[in-house]
Amino acid sequence: MSELKVGILSCSGEECLGGTISRLATRKVLEELKFVDTVTLCLPLYLAGGKEERNFARVFPTISVDGCNKLCAKKSTEKYSGKINSSVDVSEIIGIENALNTKTLRNKDLTEEHFQMVEKVAGEIVKAISRISPDAYSGKTFRGCGCGDK
Amino acid sequence: MDNNKKVKVIPCSGIGKVFGLMAREAALETVIELCPEKSETVCLAYLVTGEKEAKEKIEGCDCITVDGCPKMCAAKNVSLSGGIVIEEIKVLDTVKEHKGKQFGSPTQLNADGEIVVNEIAAKIAKIINEKN
Repeated sequence: MSELKVGILSCSGEECLGGTISRLATRKVLEELKFVDTVTLCLPLYLAGGKEERNFARVFPTISVDGCNKLCAKKSTEKYSGKINSSVDVSEIIGIENALNTKTLRNKDLTEEHFQMVEKVAGEIVKAISRISPDAYSGKTFRGCGCGDK
Repeated sequence: MDNNKKVKVIPCSGIGKVFGLMAREAALETVIELCPEKSETVCLAYLVTGEKEAKEKIEGCDCITVDGCPKMCAAKNVSLSGGIVIEEIKVLDTVKEHKGKQFGSPTQLNADGEIVVNEIAAKIAKIINEKN
C-alpha cells in the first residue's frame, strides 16, 4: 500500500535567526507530527545531488519553509524540482526584525522566547499541511523517498 | 575588515543527521565567537538559488566549507557559485576521533556534540588566523 507523505523543505539559512527558526520548526514537525508522514531533503542537494533529489517536489506534495523574504527554499525548489504546494515565510510570523537578527543564531544561544517562535512557525507548517488539497496528491508516487523508489 | 576580504565560512546545515547540525554550529561558533572580525557566513540556500546577487556575495572570495556528510553539499555549491574553497572541512574527520560517542540529534546537540563542534570551530579559526 502506498504511503502518503508530505515534503517539508527548510532554507536553514545561516545568516539570520529566521534560518535557525525555519530549521528547528521543520525538525519539530518532522519529529512530532502524527496525522501524516513527513519527509525532508537538504536543499543544497538539488545541485550537489542527482536526479532523484531534484524529483523531490514531483514525488511529494511539498511545503517550503523560509527564514526571510528572499524565499530561497521556495525559489530553489520551483527552479530545480517542481511546483510547491504551500510556503511558509518565517519573517511574516515572527516579524522581519526578529527574522533578520544576525546575533542569535546558534541553538545554544536560544531563549524561551525563541522556542516560542519555533512553536508558532511549526504550527503554521502544520496548518499548511492540513490545507493541502487532496488533488495535490494526484500523480505523486509516495514510495517513501525522493528518488521514487523504496 | 572589508566584508569582501572576510573569509566566508559556509556549512551545509544538513537537516537529516546530527552531523549537519554540527557543521552549522561549528561555522556559526567561528564567525560569531572566534573570528568575527575576519570571517562571516553566507546562507548556503541563497547560493543554491543561483541568483546573480547571491553569487556576487562569494565570487572570488576565500571560503571555508563545512560538510556533515560525504555528499559535500557546501563545498560543491560554493564552488559552483564562484567561491574559492581554500579548505573543505569534513565533520566526520573530527567525529572519527571520538569513537563510540553519541552527539545528540539533528535538532539538538548533547555535551559531546558541543565538544566536537568546538574542536571543529577551533580548527577553522586556526586556518583563518594563519591566513590573516
